[in-house]
Amino acid sequence: MPIALVRRVMTSDSSPHGRLGVTSDDLKALMAAVANQRDKAAYGRLFQHFAPRIVGFMERAGVGRTDAEEIAQDTLVSVWRKAELYDPRQAAVSTWVFTIARNLRIDMARRATRRRNGAAAMGEPEIELVDSAEDEAIAGERDARVRDAMKTLSREQATVLRLSFYSEKPHAEIARELGIPLGTVKSRVRLAMAKIRPLLENES
Amino acid sequence: MSLHHPYDDTLARFAAGTLAAGPSLVVSTHVAGCAECRSRVRLFEAVGGAMLEEATASSVRPELFANALKRIEETAERPTPRRVASPLDRVPMTAWRSLGGGFAWRRLTLPYAPDANIIMLKVQPGQRMPHHTHSGTEYTQVLQGSFHDDYGRYVAGDCIEADDDIDHQPTIDSDVECICLAAVEGRLRLRGFIARMVQPFLGL
Repeated sequence: MPIALVRRVMTSDSSPHGRLGVTSDDLKALMAAVANQRDKAAYGRLFQHFAPRIVGFMERAGVGRTDAEEIAQDTLVSVWRKAELYDPRQAAVSTWVFTIARNLRIDMARRATRRRNGAAAMGEPEIELVDSAEDEAIAGERDARVRDAMKTLSREQATVLRLSFYSEKPHAEIARELGIPLGTVKSRVRLAMAKIRPLLENES
Repeated sequence: MSLHHPYDDTLARFAAGTLAAGPSLVVSTHVAGCAECRSRVRLFEAVGGAMLEEATASSVRPELFANALKRIEETAERPTPRRVASPLDRVPMTAWRSLGGGFAWRRLTLPYAPDANIIMLKVQPGQRMPHHTHSGTEYTQVLQGSFHDDYGRYVAGDCIEADDDIDHQPTIDSDVECICLAAVEGRLRLRGFIARMVQPFLGL
């Protein structure tokens, strides 16, 4: 990742949810309209909210413009098709959309590798979690807690967390950004994460 | 070294989709059987959702929405929640190859990441593994049986992350064969007699 990009990754964004004033509950209501009434106006608003963010997120992660747009479009087509599988008790709409976009990005990279190697297409294992009843019981307000907790992270903690999401080689990027030798990055990252997780879980 | 579960930063990278293919396969296998780690992955997916929400919105071409509308009108098939197979189910692997002395191994090849070093190792009860260190991080999931080393005891379902500073000699202590899935980020260095025998076969 070029330095300029790292700097952009590092610059913390303002306005946590929606410049357009779209709240988490608004998004859930729009999803319900799409799932139950196949409401295209609601779908349009979801598209308008998420497509630009997915493209922005993917570009920040080093995905080229064309591919980022393809991932955004495919993600939003999936949002329509899978709308009735979305469970508002399980996760925020943003979290659900993030997992769809993530899987599509992984899938795109894997298809490219296979094409280069002339390997035949096969069903790919995706990152997909099967929840048990006990998993569901703790889902509750996880998204809201996580969002609040992320505002309390130190610069180093925020850097570690962001680079985990935006970089395929987070350790090297973290070493450069924080000026730590690569050899000690792993333990520093683990220490930082060990402090971040209880914050996210609101157990500290 | 993490003794029974992957480190939080590994789970974060897994949830972000930035973890390399080999380690990602090992973590998938662990997470499928570990409710605690599933919950942590959910937590980091919520972080991903929050990051998507705060991502800089990039302007998107109007055709993107027009194309999406066209695509959702074309197909009317209903989504079916997929039953998730074991992460290892569709991974091509060689037959077991005996190394003599109660050891056997097989190699797993991911068509979308042919360079990933992923092996399964099967060891008879009572055997001692060769003394070895790692030059990168090694991710190991115990699939069957149990073993111990100077650091602790590991049973089926445990995931161990071992760095290059780990020098250990695991001993199998189950009544049944111990089978482990391992993905190596760097080269595995082995010492001793069996080690010299194993290494050329492993090609690591």
